[in-house]
Amino acid sequence: MNEFYQKDIISIKDFDKAQLEQIFVSTEKIMKLNPIERREICKGNTLGYLFYEPSTRTRLSFDAAMASVGGNSLGISNISTSSTQKGESLADTVKIMSIYSDVLVLRHPLDGSSRFASEVSSKPVINAGSGTEEHPTQAIQDLFTIRKEKKKIDGLKIGIIGDLKYGRTVYSLLYGLGNYDVDVHLISPESLRIRSDSVYEIKKKLSFTESINIEEYIDELDVLYVTRIQKERFPDEEEYLKVKGSYVVGLDLLQKMKDDSIILHPLPRLDEISTDVDHTKHAKYFEQAEYGKYTRAALLGLILNENGF
Amino acid sequence: MQESELMVRRIKEGTVLDHIDEGKGLQVLNALRIDGKDGSLITIALNVPSGKFKKKDIIKVENKFLKDDDTNKLAVIAPKATINIIKDYKLVEKRRVSLPNEIDRIFRCSNPDCITNSTEHIESVMDVIDKEGRVLKCRYCARVLDVNKLKYN
Repeated sequence: MNEFYQKDIISIKDFDKAQLEQIFVSTEKIMKLNPIERREICKGNTLGYLFYEPSTRTRLSFDAAMASVGGNSLGISNISTSSTQKGESLADTVKIMSIYSDVLVLRHPLDGSSRFASEVSSKPVINAGSGTEEHPTQAIQDLFTIRKEKKKIDGLKIGIIGDLKYGRTVYSLLYGLGNYDVDVHLISPESLRIRSDSVYEIKKKLSFTESINIEEYIDELDVLYVTRIQKERFPDEEEYLKVKGSYVVGLDLLQKMKDDSIILHPLPRLDEISTDVDHTKHAKYFEQAEYGKYTRAALLGLILNENGF
Repeated sequence: MQESELMVRRIKEGTVLDHIDEGKGLQVLNALRIDGKDGSLITIALNVPSGKFKKKDIIKVENKFLKDDDTNKLAVIAPKATINIIKDYKLVEKRRVSLPNEIDRIFRCSNPDCITNSTEHIESVMDVIDKEGRVLKCRYCARVLDVNKLKYN
């Protein structure tokens, strides 16, 4: 039996290096299969999604992933049209959705929501973003992209820039990188440094430096991971305006970077990467989005097939 | 019994919480909901000289024996405390407190955005990830919690 069969995907912390590698190998396999073979992997299975927060990429990515492996999707992508507006609890909604589907995908504004959902669901739950806590499938996608584009993860120098306080993709990526021998450099405005209550665990697995100056290590980085300032999570607009547009990655910055360095972004992007960067060899965020479809397809294939695929 | 403990009246049946960290006595009373409303004799001594830890707090409560939840609270607030069970004026049991691997229900997660602080029917679970350092982690939101900021359910 494959170890991911019927497994919840709640936190990237639940995966070790060997398990991540297994997902990456399965992703490579899916990418090489022809569409007809691929559609056999989850044929007849249904993915149920519950999105309590807006999402374009992640939900569509799961939809596209499930379709590519032959399954179908149904669910709620807009809270305002659902019975939760009538006061239904998350627990009840999850229980009902797990009747209609073989695997559940949940995005919710509260931290810990996916772990709670996994306790009440009769089907495996995949966390597609829980508050500011985690976004594990994004981290798997990010790690896969680094591995694919740089041919390795160990030994790299990785810069993470932007909103490190509220960006859940940052926490999941850092926890994921904790499995590798990497140098991490965190760059953010003072007010958006990573949360001290999360550093405790990250520090046990990863060495990192922090600064507010993007120029400091830019010429050493192999990977620059850029994040959006999470406007929706700021307590007030004024605080957001103070840090809005703090960093912009443009062509001038690229000239200072290593020739073979890559730039990643979980998307959506606002103004933190100027569009003229898109056409350079450094820009890999659209490939990253494409790999996201395949890493999710691989996860679904592993979760739904007892003997893998 | 040491001289310092004789400063307060002996109890017939009940519990003596000794070696409470200096200044934590009132917090322990609050956490254990010891308020004297049931008419039991309660004696509190704060800043009692103690050779071992310089100063300590002591609480004597008649007719109260700690439940597991109370012991766990005590272990978090005052890790050096000892629990002395008194029956017929005699000390029949003495034990130190120790943190369990997990603490259920008794504390609220200090992260306001944690699912355990929502309207869902869910009880808090804290994992003790470092017993010596008294480091607790919410099992749901995974935040590492400051034991001095925890609120009791």
